[in-house]
Amino acid sequence: MKQRIGVYICHCGGNISDYVDVEELGKMFHHEENVVVSKDVMFACADSNQKDMVADIQANKLDAIVVCSCSPKLHLHTFKNVAARAGLNPSNYVQVNIREQCSWPHSDRPREATVKAAGLIRAGINRVAYSESLENIELTVKKSALVIGAGVSGMKAAIDLARSGSEVFLIEKDFFVGGRIAQKQTLFPTNQNGKEVVAFLYNEMKKFPNISIFTGATVEKVSGSLGNFTVDIKVKPRYINPNADKKAVKRAMDECPVSVHDDFNLGLVERKAIYKNYPEALPDVPVVVAEALKDAQDFTGKFASTLNLNEEAQTLSLIAGSVLVTTGYDHYQPKEGEYGYKTISNVVTLPELNRLMEMNPEKLVYNGKQIKSLAFIYCVGSRQTKGDNKYCSRQCCTTTIHTSLQLKEKYKDIQTYHLYRDIRTYGKQELMYAESSKQGDLYFKYEEKEMPVVSVDGKSTIVKVKDYLTAKKEMEIEADLVVLVTGMVAREDATTISELFKIPIGRDKFFNEIHPKLKPVETVIKGVYIGGTCQGPKNVSESVQSSLAGASKITALLKSGTVMVDPITARVDADKCTWCGKCSDVCDYTAIKEVLFGEKHVAGVNKAVCTGCGICAPVCPENAIEIAQYTDNEIESMIDGFMMDFDIKEKGAGEVVEVEEEGKVGMKEYPLVWREILAGMTDEKNTIPEIVANTKLAGELVTFHLMTMNRYGVVVPAGMDAKETYYYYKKK
Amino acid sequence: MSRVNPKFATELSKYGSSDFNACFNCGNCTATCSLSTADSSFPREMIRYTTLGLEDDIKASLKPWECYYCGECSSECPRQAEPGELMMSLRRWLTAKYDWTGLSGLMYKSLPLSIAAFVLTFVGVLAFAFSADFDLEYMMHVGHLFEAIAIASIMVVIFVPNIIRMWYFTIVKPGTKVPLKKYLSSMGEFFVTMFVQKRALDCDDNRFRWFEHFILVIGYLSLLFTTVFMDWFSTQYLAVNIFGYVMSAIVFIVTVDFVNSRMKKKKALNKHSQPSDWFFVIWLFLMGLTAFMTRLFIDLDILEMNKWLYILHFTVLVQWALIIVPFGKWTHFLYRSFAMYFAKLKEK
Repeated sequence: MKQRIGVYICHCGGNISDYVDVEELGKMFHHEENVVVSKDVMFACADSNQKDMVADIQANKLDAIVVCSCSPKLHLHTFKNVAARAGLNPSNYVQVNIREQCSWPHSDRPREATVKAAGLIRAGINRVAYSESLENIELTVKKSALVIGAGVSGMKAAIDLARSGSEVFLIEKDFFVGGRIAQKQTLFPTNQNGKEVVAFLYNEMKKFPNISIFTGATVEKVSGSLGNFTVDIKVKPRYINPNADKKAVKRAMDECPVSVHDDFNLGLVERKAIYKNYPEALPDVPVVVAEALKDAQDFTGKFASTLNLNEEAQTLSLIAGSVLVTTGYDHYQPKEGEYGYKTISNVVTLPELNRLMEMNPEKLVYNGKQIKSLAFIYCVGSRQTKGDNKYCSRQCCTTTIHTSLQLKEKYKDIQTYHLYRDIRTYGKQELMYAESSKQGDLYFKYEEKEMPVVSVDGKSTIVKVKDYLTAKKEMEIEADLVVLVTGMVAREDATTISELFKIPIGRDKFFNEIHPKLKPVETVIKGVYIGGTCQGPKNVSESVQSSLAGASKITALLKSGTVMVDPITARVDADKCTWCGKCSDVCDYTAIKEVLFGEKHVAGVNKAVCTGCGICAPVCPENAIEIAQYTDNEIESMIDGFMMDFDIKEKGAGEVVEVEEEGKVGMKEYPLVWREILAGMTDEKNTIPEIVANTKLAGELVTFHLMTMNRYGVVVPAGMDAKETYYYYKKK
Repeated sequence: MSRVNPKFATELSKYGSSDFNACFNCGNCTATCSLSTADSSFPREMIRYTTLGLEDDIKASLKPWECYYCGECSSECPRQAEPGELMMSLRRWLTAKYDWTGLSGLMYKSLPLSIAAFVLTFVGVLAFAFSADFDLEYMMHVGHLFEAIAIASIMVVIFVPNIIRMWYFTIVKPGTKVPLKKYLSSMGEFFVTMFVQKRALDCDDNRFRWFEHFILVIGYLSLLFTTVFMDWFSTQYLAVNIFGYVMSAIVFIVTVDFVNSRMKKKKALNKHSQPSDWFFVIWLFLMGLTAFMTRLFIDLDILEMNKWLYILHFTVLVQWALIIVPFGKWTHFLYRSFAMYFAKLKEK
C-alpha cells in the first residue's frame, strides 16, 4: 500500500475549472488518508509544473502520484515520464480524466460534474495505493525477417532488409516471383516492362546470400511473438527432377500433350501442363501440373528421368524476429452479366485487355476480329455505394488512361471511349490524362444511379450512357470491345493470413494498420507489419513506399537486438490454478500454455505474446488469473472510492471551509507566462501594447492570456484608453 | 439518342479547329464568356457537341454566331483547347453547310482550289481586256455594269437559297413554332446586327475593335453604294467624289490594322488565321486602295496612261464579287445578322 500519495488537479486553463470546482477538490483531497500533497494547478502539463512535480515528489518522498486532468491518450506518457524523472516507478502513477469525462460532457451541470470528478479522483487515489512497481519486459529479437509475398513490394523490401544485414526469408505462394506486375507489359509512368522489373529485382536479390526465396510456399502455422516468431511453411513440389538435364526439361515442356487453364493469362488462353508463367519467368524452373498428367502415361514414361511425379511437399520451420506481409490484391471479378461480362462476347476486363495487348503485338485481335474502338467503363467493382467495395481503387483511372495511350502508340488507328464517374489521376499522373484527351480519347461522365448499358445490335456492340457532360443526353457508342475497368479487392486468402497472424481486417477485407497517419504500416500484432496492396488499393510506387517503410521499421527493430514491451500482462497464481485449460481456449493470441510448476500442471503465460487484454481472467473458475495494473484489489478499491458520498456545495453558494494546514492549497502558482505578464505591468493600469513593450512577448499571446487572467481574477479591466482602441488592465 | 461520331473532329480540323480535344469540360470558357447566358450558354456546349460529333445538334444551333470572338475563353482555358477558335471553325463549317452549291466547303478545305479560282478570274479579266482592246471607257462601263449584275444575281442564286437552308436547319427542323407576327416584330434585331453589331459591344475589352469593325462596315457599304448607285468613277459632283475618297480610304486604312494584328498574333482571336481570313482582309484592303487610286488617277487625268491600274481594280472586284462574297468569309456578315434574327424568333 502506498502511503505518501501526491494528487494534482488541473484547471486546464479553464477547460476543467470553468465547470468543475477544482480548488474545492484540491482542498478536499488534502484530508484524504495517505495523501500528502493535494494541489490544483493551472496547466499540469506545463514545463514549469512538471518541474514542480518532480521537486514535490523528491521533497515529500512521495511513493505514488495521481494527475487529474485530461484523457490518458493525451498525457499518460507525459506524467509517467515525470514519475520516472523523480525516481518513481512509472507504474505508480494513475491518470484521472476529469476533462473529457467531467467538465466537457457535463458543462450544463457543474455541481454534478464536480461530484463525479471527486468520485473519479478518489477511485484513482485508491487504485494508485494498490499499485505495484512493475518493470517493462525485455525481449530478445532474432535477427531475421520473414516477408510474405514476392511481388514488387515484397522483393524491394527483402532487398532492403538484406542490405541492412538481416537474414531474410521471402516466401511466395505462386511458383514464380513477380506477382501482379509480371502481368503488365508497361508500367506507368516510366513505361518499363513489368517483367524486366521483376527480373531486375530477382537478380538483385540473388546477389544477397542472406535472402532465401521459397516459391510455391504457403504459411501453415504461426507461433511465437515479437522478436521470435516460428512460422511453418509448406513448399509445394514442382515435380521436376532437380538433377534433370535442362534441355530435357525444355523438351518435356515442348512435347507436353496436355493443356490446362492459364491463370497467368487470366484464362484467355490455355497453357501446357508443364509450364512457366511466361518464358523468362523466374526462378527458371518450370512447374508440372501432376494431376493433369495422370492419364498421359506415354508422355510421363518417356520423360521418367526428367519428371519426378512422386515428389512430396516439404514443411519447413522458419524463425523470424519480425514479419512483413506483402500479399497483394486480387482483381475484382465482375459477376456474370455485369455490363454483359461473360454474356456478351466482346466484354473483357482491364487486366484481360492488358494480357491481350501483350499477346497481340501487331494488331489487336479478339475473338478473331480486329479491334479498332474500345469503350472503357470505369469504377466496376469500386465505389459501390450499395455494394461491398465502397472504396476507390485508386490506380485504375491512371492505369486505364495509360493503357489508352499505349493502345494508340502500339496500334495507331484506334479510338477509345472512356465512361467514367470521376477522373482521379492525382499528382503527376494528371499529365497522362491531358495527353489522352489531346490524342482524341473521348470522355463521358456517368452517375452510379444511371449506369451505362451494354447491348448487342446486330453485329455491333453498343454502349448507351446518359452523359452528364452533355446535359445528360443519351449517347450511343459503338465499340468493338467493351473493357470493364475492374478495381482491386483483397486476396481471397487474406482471411487465412489474417487468422494465422491475427492481423485485423477491415470491412473491405484488406488488412488494417493501427493508424493511417501515425502508424501506417504497423498492425496491432507487435512485430507484424503490412506493406503494398494487401492493406488497400495502391499503385506500384505507393506499394513500394509502404513496404519499404515496413522494412525500415523492421530493420530498426532487428538492429536493436532487444525490445521493451509493456508489463501489463496476465499472471497466474500457480497455487490456485488447476489447469482446466479454459483460459488457453479463450486466448486470441495463444499466449497461455500448459506448463509444469514443480509436479503440478498449471497455466503459463508467455509475457512476450500476452497483450493484457484480460479475457482469461473472468473465465478462470478458480480466480487464479489477474492482470497486472488491473488486479482485483485495484479495481474493487476504485469502485469503493467512486461510490463514496461527497458533500459538495454549488460553487460560490454557502461558505467554504478554509483549510489551514500545511501544503499548498489554491492556485498559488501561476503559469510562467502569467508571471511574466504581471512583471511587465506597472501598479497603474496598462494597455496591451504597453505590456507587450514591457515584456517583449507576442501581442496575441498577451491578449489571450490577459483574457484568461481576467477570468481568474488575476487582472481586472479598467476602462478604455482615450482613443477607445485598447482596454486598460490592472493587477487585482 | 445520339450516336457518337469521333470522325467529325477530323472533318472540322480542315476548317481550322485546333486542339479542342484537350478539353476536360471544366466550363471555364462558358463562365468567362461575357455573352454566354443561362438560357444560351456556350462555348463549352459547342465543344462537347464537336468532340462527340453531334452534327445535327451543331447544325441546329445558332450559338456559333452568337460569339464575337473576343478570345477571353481561349486565354482562360486551362487546357489550351482554344474554344474561341473552335467557335470560329464552327462558323466556317456552318457556312459550308448552309451553302447549297458546296463551293464554300471546297474553298475552306482546299487552299490550292481557292488559288486556282483566283488565278482563273484573273485570266478571265485579262481575256476580257484583250477582247475589249484595252478600251478604258468600255472596260469601265462593263465594270460598273458587272457590279450591279453580280450583286443582284448572287443575292438571288446563292444567298436567298442559303438563308432559307439556314432557316430550315435552325428553325424548322428542330421543330420551333414561330407565329408570323413574330417574324415581323423581330426584324429590328436583324438590321441592328447587320449595321451596328451591337451585341459585340458586350464582349469584354472590345470597344476599339467594335469601333473599327463598325466604321469598316459603314465604309464598305457606303463605298459599295457610291460606286454602284452614284457612279463614283464618273460623277461630276464634288461632294460625291469626296465621299468616295473618304470611304475608300476608311476601308484600306482600317484593313491595314486588321492585317497587322493578324500578323502580330498578340490577341487570341488573331492567332489562328486561315487562308479565308487572309483573303478577306487583304482583298478588302486592295478593294479600298485600288478604288481610291483609280479615282485619284482619274482626277489627275493619268488613268489613260495607266490602264493596268483599272485592270487590277477590276480583277480585285471580280474576285471579291465572285469568290469571297458568295463562298468566302464575306457571308459571315449575312449569316450573323440572320442568326440574331432567328435567335430572336426562338426566344420564348
